[in-house]
Amino acid sequence: MRNRSLIVVSIAVAGALSLSACGSRGEKKAEDGAAGSTTVTIGVDAPLTGDLSALGLGIKNSVDLAVKQANAKNEVPGVKFEIKALDDTAKPAPGQQNATNLVADKTVIGVVGPLNSSVAQSMQQIFNDANLVQISPANTGVALSQGEAWASGTKARPFKSYFRTSTTDAVQGPFAAQYLVNEAKKKKVFLIDDQKAYGAGLAATFKGEFTKLGGSIVGEEHVNPDDRDFNAIVTKVKSSGAEAIYYGGEYPAAGPLSLQLKEGGVNIPLMGGDGIQSGDFIKLNPKSQGDVATAVGLPVEQLPSAAKFIADYKAAAYKDAYETYGGYSYDSAWAIIQAVKTVAAANNGKLPADARAKVVAAVQAISFEGVTGKVSFDQYGDTTNKQLTVYAVKDGKWAVEKTGTFSG
Amino acid sequence: MHELPQQLANGLILGALYGLVAIGYTMVYGIVQLINFAHGEIFMVGGFGALTAFLALPGGTSLWIAIPLMLLAGILVSTLVAVGAERFAYRPLRGAPRLAPLITAIGLSIVLQQLVFSFYPDAKKARVFPKIPGDPFELAGITIQRSDIFLIIAAPLCMMILGWFVAKTRSGRAMQATSQDPDTAKLMGIDTDRIIVMAFAIGAAFAAVAAVAYGLRTGQVDSRMGILLGLKAFTAAVLGGIGNIYGAMLGGLALGLTEGLATGYIQHVPGMDLFGGAAWKDVWAFVLLIVVLLVRPQGLLGERVADRA
Amino acid sequence: MSTETTPVIPLPLGAARAVTAVGALATTASAFLAWTWTADFPGDLTVTGYPGGLQWLTLTAGLLTLVLALASYGVPGLRWTSPSGSDNGLLYAAFGGAAVTWFTIIAIAIDLNGLANLEPGGWIAGVASLVALVGALGLPVDRHPKGTSWGLRLAKTDQPLPTARQLPSTVEVLLIVVAFAIGLFAITFGIDTEYGELFTGYLILAGFVIAALSKSGLLPRLRALTIKHRPIATGAAFAAAAGFPFTQTSDQYTSVAANILIFATVALGLNIVVGLAGLLDLGYVAFLGVGAYAAALVSGSPASPIHVQFPFWAAMLTGAAASMVFGVLIGAPTLRLRGDYLAIVTLGFGEIFRITMNNLNGTTGPKITNGANGIPRIPDLEILGFNLGQKHLIAGVELGRFSNYYLLMLVVTAFVVLVFARVGNSRIGRAWVAIREDETAAEAMGINGFRLKLLAFALGACLAGLAGTVQAHVSYTVTPDQYTFAEALPPNSAFLLAAVILGGMGTISGPLVGATLLFLVPKKLEFLSNYQLLAFGITLIILMRVRPEGMIANRRAKLEFHEADIPAQASPPSESALTKTGA
Repeated sequence: MRNRSLIVVSIAVAGALSLSACGSRGEKKAEDGAAGSTTVTIGVDAPLTGDLSALGLGIKNSVDLAVKQANAKNEVPGVKFEIKALDDTAKPAPGQQNATNLVADKTVIGVVGPLNSSVAQSMQQIFNDANLVQISPANTGVALSQGEAWASGTKARPFKSYFRTSTTDAVQGPFAAQYLVNEAKKKKVFLIDDQKAYGAGLAATFKGEFTKLGGSIVGEEHVNPDDRDFNAIVTKVKSSGAEAIYYGGEYPAAGPLSLQLKEGGVNIPLMGGDGIQSGDFIKLNPKSQGDVATAVGLPVEQLPSAAKFIADYKAAAYKDAYETYGGYSYDSAWAIIQAVKTVAAANNGKLPADARAKVVAAVQAISFEGVTGKVSFDQYGDTTNKQLTVYAVKDGKWAVEKTGTFSG
Repeated sequence: MHELPQQLANGLILGALYGLVAIGYTMVYGIVQLINFAHGEIFMVGGFGALTAFLALPGGTSLWIAIPLMLLAGILVSTLVAVGAERFAYRPLRGAPRLAPLITAIGLSIVLQQLVFSFYPDAKKARVFPKIPGDPFELAGITIQRSDIFLIIAAPLCMMILGWFVAKTRSGRAMQATSQDPDTAKLMGIDTDRIIVMAFAIGAAFAAVAAVAYGLRTGQVDSRMGILLGLKAFTAAVLGGIGNIYGAMLGGLALGLTEGLATGYIQHVPGMDLFGGAAWKDVWAFVLLIVVLLVRPQGLLGERVADRA
Repeated sequence: MSTETTPVIPLPLGAARAVTAVGALATTASAFLAWTWTADFPGDLTVTGYPGGLQWLTLTAGLLTLVLALASYGVPGLRWTSPSGSDNGLLYAAFGGAAVTWFTIIAIAIDLNGLANLEPGGWIAGVASLVALVGALGLPVDRHPKGTSWGLRLAKTDQPLPTARQLPSTVEVLLIVVAFAIGLFAITFGIDTEYGELFTGYLILAGFVIAALSKSGLLPRLRALTIKHRPIATGAAFAAAAGFPFTQTSDQYTSVAANILIFATVALGLNIVVGLAGLLDLGYVAFLGVGAYAAALVSGSPASPIHVQFPFWAAMLTGAAASMVFGVLIGAPTLRLRGDYLAIVTLGFGEIFRITMNNLNGTTGPKITNGANGIPRIPDLEILGFNLGQKHLIAGVELGRFSNYYLLMLVVTAFVVLVFARVGNSRIGRAWVAIREDETAAEAMGINGFRLKLLAFALGACLAGLAGTVQAHVSYTVTPDQYTFAEALPPNSAFLLAAVILGGMGTISGPLVGATLLFLVPKKLEFLSNYQLLAFGITLIILMRVRPEGMIANRRAKLEFHEADIPAQASPPSESALTKTGA
């Protein structure tokens, strides 16, 4: 994006010094690619630095892996994919600037990201205005795709360019509630969340389903995600007589919470969502035996595509692990690549001028078997994949407890 | 109300932790009138020092041997960092307007945090800290974590040693003199530079003790743990009367109790049902600070001092 | 003046000048050569006959050095570029050329693995810039006789200026306009830099060029002109700023610029509190948050529990008023206390604000803010039928959403600047400065310390709230995690304070410059990525040791911080005009 004044001044200077400028550099760059092939970019927006960088780098690397494999396989003939990863530091304002940056880059055909719901909120409108498809591998806030009034039953999709491969809170929370009531036979639960978008959303949807199934919430607490001292809460849990704890939040707080519960003499399981289904939860919590977590998709052992992803990721020798959202990110990128393929195929193998809008429509109709299961989107842009797995900690490992499909 | 004794115990244990860190703020402020903003990070590096010692020990070492060694390592690291900071960051600014050392302190706090975050192996996530194994103690209906035994013994012990040091030893009395009037103290032949270094070192050592207690208690240390705890500890120091070592401990205990009781009971107060629980405990701690400052601006145990700022 | 005037490298004057001029000419010419063989280095430095990327910077430095060298010869028509007649400016320019050229060479070597990647053009540039530097070092430069290091002795000199030639005032105004146009171009160039190497080079060059021009006397001349024609100068500055969106083809950089303006305006508001009244506020970003939340609640967002849509002026007043109320609520109990208590209370308030916004979500408190989900989908503003969310064609240029908000924010900035200037120079502003310097003495003079401090605190809060109302609409969403004490990117309380201190306390331009730098540096230098915050912390520590008064120093602050360095106050009368207390 050269700006006009720079061009004006450069022409003036060059003219004044009577030097013949030999051609514009822009043209030269366009010739770089092989004859007839066009290069399109898949943008990535995630926190690449800071506290959440581990998750963000996992997203970036997984997209990179998808792009490299697409190029190697010549997935879309005549189209080469590139990746442009921008850092949003998990904050809305930089995320929004990244969004304008990606929109301004005419080669960008789709974006994978962001990690945080608050960042998504600041980007959705901008991508929507530019008809640029955005697929988040990690957002779980229901309102992002179904509008603020979703809980009361009136769902309305605010942005047609927004999709996600992650499941919403409206799936994981109720699934956990069903498991606790039906399989684990726990009727009295103490509900704790960390007040963040992910955790609070999970806790709220859990509560709705759990009370509907006849369970009772014997107490509720909310922790500061930076807190590591939960003894006052442990005391409350102890006197509440709860049979289990449901925790909406992530492992950095869940680990010490569960540990302090058991150290405080409360020997009941703690259950959570995929935010705690991490090896670090067990590492931080030597007394995690019996704790339970739900996660989206089938277990890796039952899904050959996931095993292949893990093997490929290892083979690509990235410095950082793919983390929680690696598989979803890979699927998000692959969905964009498949959409580009559809669009190109419908236009004699070439990308049309309004490729961005066409890709949005193509993503809506996409359907393929991905790393996390079947990838396709419903009328709100949410994933149709409602397969979930319940894991429990057994001998220092997450062991599959149950797999199932969430229905309503 | 059967939770009450337990919540009081929780509050006192947490408060003792705050108090140990608050000592560092109060001593430094009492002598050089500097809010050592980086003290929370001094606490944090102490925790990592102790962790390093633990990792260096052969696996399976008895905790009876490991904990004293970890404590020593933590104190060593904290003290070195604090004294280094005093020597190279704060001392050159002595006599500069009040804002300059404070900004330096903020900068130092960010630097220490980032150094650990970026360069300590695997410190981008929380690191696992050993715990004292075994079931919790039950005592008259109160459950106490086994790991908290360390803090319950260490906190009063540290306070007694510090009280004896300040009141009885030559250096301690020199410290008191310096905090009352640095210029006169200097004229009386007291090496005030040495006293200032000593204040930083003692504060750092206490912070390291607190860090080991924190690690044992929560089973982890991480590079951000100093932020919140430092803020709370400073609040405790102000609450108790900044410059007064017993005030710091008292302020810490008061703050810990407030948090414990706010988590347990505020929602039972009529009209407050929406403002209770752990979500609001920090708000109540802050309200306590404001109220105390309004009623007793010098803090609980502070003396009314003439304006020095 | 107590300076010694000796060359650093003993060369005959004529030879030194000639060497400098030839070196500068060669440097300029080398920018048109190919420096490297591959386009892999960003900016494409492979083309002969046309400068690109970093070569533009070398070209600029070379031209400046050449012009100053010719001025040193006394070439008619160019002498105006060096009113001081001192060669220090020339030396700085030559330094800048060498620094930016060698930075480029080293960057090429590092990016592409090895100096082998340089074309002869690159070597020519490197050698030419060094030749110019050696020549300039042979010139008789003024140096301060005392001082520890060579660099400091050079920097500490003051070049006296001869009285300026009387120009018709239309010409003077024209000069101001030209100067600001150049300034606009320079700043636009900085914001638009696309890769870290170019931005670093730009910063290096900008530093040396500013030093060179101030030593050559051109900048002090310009400053004198702007003081003489202050309304026009201020107008020109804002006109130049308003011109920025018209130089852009997309929203890519106007979104950055709009956020810079928000950050800078809030920093300016903080400067009233910290810089003028001397109250240390460590939770200032919360007031930005209060304004943003207030505006979001009355914006008509579907997520807001209050289903009203205020017109923009009313929303702005609401935001500002809400912030002011909080300022008074926090200030009233704490401002009665002395000293550092305020720091901790404001720090606590900043944290409590965030926690409270998290809690008012319907389950842990009244349903007001939606907790961590914040208030998203804030509609775009519509002012007098002009929808800021849409593209508009103005003067043949298409202005996108962020250009509109940038221009709106510029109006807010202008308002804050106006308030700052008027209040700062008023009785109240002088009372603030008196309180800052010595509260006891000020109260003895009959100043009501508490009331005035509260006024400063409330005014600062109010201005931040004003900026917050725009911020809420720009970012479409208001969430609690935007308002923290310290993060890697601005705005946050630590960066705001740093912007004020880095820029210069008590000045208007200081926080604006400081905020711009603090915003752009982490944004552009992504190669620092994980070490940004570390670098930021180190910078703060070093800055406090080296230049605690900030980059643009208030004269009084400068005296205060460097009492030992300034022996006697023999300031020439012309400089008293430069003393801008609070301006």
